[in-house]
Amino acid sequence: MTMRIALTAAFLTILLVIAGVSENPDYKSDPNWQAPPEAAQKSNPLAKRPQLAGGGRKLFLRNCVECHGEDGRGLEKKHSANLHLPAVQAQSDGSLFWKISNGNLGRGMPSFSQIPEQQRWQIVLYLRTLDK
Amino acid sequence: MLLLLATTALAQEAPYFVTYDHHLEEPGNLEVSIANTGGLARADQRTYFAPYIELEYGTKTWWTSELYLEWQSRLGDSAIFTGWRFENRFRPLSREHWINPVLYLEYENINEASRIQKEIVGNAREIGVPNAELRQTAAHELETKLILSSNTHNWNISENFIVEKNLSEEEGFEFGYSIGVSRPLATLASASNCRFCRENFVAGVELYGGLGSSLGFGLHDTAHYIAPVISWQVSDNSSIHFSPSIGITHGSDPLLIRFSYTYEVRDFGSKMASLFGRR
Repeated sequence: MTMRIALTAAFLTILLVIAGVSENPDYKSDPNWQAPPEAAQKSNPLAKRPQLAGGGRKLFLRNCVECHGEDGRGLEKKHSANLHLPAVQAQSDGSLFWKISNGNLGRGMPSFSQIPEQQRWQIVLYLRTLDK
Repeated sequence: MLLLLATTALAQEAPYFVTYDHHLEEPGNLEVSIANTGGLARADQRTYFAPYIELEYGTKTWWTSELYLEWQSRLGDSAIFTGWRFENRFRPLSREHWINPVLYLEYENINEASRIQKEIVGNAREIGVPNAELRQTAAHELETKLILSSNTHNWNISENFIVEKNLSEEEGFEFGYSIGVSRPLATLASASNCRFCRENFVAGVELYGGLGSSLGFGLHDTAHYIAPVISWQVSDNSSIHFSPSIGITHGSDPLLIRFSYTYEVRDFGSKMASLFGRR
């Protein structure tokens, strides 16, 4: 009986902790979030097929819009990056691909490595259209 | 109310029922799954249905919490509530690696009638006893898993090593495993919002079973299954998973039919917070 009470108390404590920490911290760009040089140098294998950016848009709307907004300009409440900014667009295709694949778990950006590799490159293709 | 709160977003998921990969729920999202494990029992026993509800919440990018509520019904017997489980998964490494570990910790407050079989541990169980009797035996269990998962060339390969301790009875530590391999049927996305195109399907296979306990480690008298799995992303925020699991040892049920429907509620945490006056 004592064990049961202790376990129930532990369960409730965990729920309270979860409720307390589930808020995202304020977004600030993370200077430590840099793709390794070999990853940043990778070129987009779909670069010569710009028509695939349409599929990239669909994937963006499915996976990214929640934090970056439908127009990719970021959401204040999510403290997420505006993907139109030169600081983003100046990054290489390889660097964007690496960031999509790895995420930045400490700063609220999940990893999307479960998306097939070619589809991640399609997202990069679409991100480039935001610059135009 | 959930439907009012819901918008899009369900990242492509592994199709497994038993095996976990290293991908966690996105922070603030709530994934609601309604699932069933149907068991075609051995000759002298009764076919059963074990429906359950999974509520999976992304607490942080590196931490996912999940609550299970489960039931069981057997042909010619009663239908009963078999208990609840609360699990947490933690991803200790911040970057993708060749092998990505996740630590899993679960508390189970169930009874011996539980048949959802989200994991198989220890030795094969006798299920010829009526539900009325089984429900009297409570099982308070702690379960840990080491989840190892890799994504390579569009394949996901995941291995789970399971250790379970029943706090209510002296059964020693029970062990189990599961292994899953899966791949999407197409790796390029079309621009159209098609429902039946190949990119919306992920197929694979799972192998899982018990490895005995600290009182008798090994494969003797254990249950093992091989299970083709397939998932279909029906829309941006819902998916259907299906798996026929085939028992491959004497201690296994001949066939388990698993089915689930999953619906993801985006930004659930923030919506709930604002509902209660927090910005």
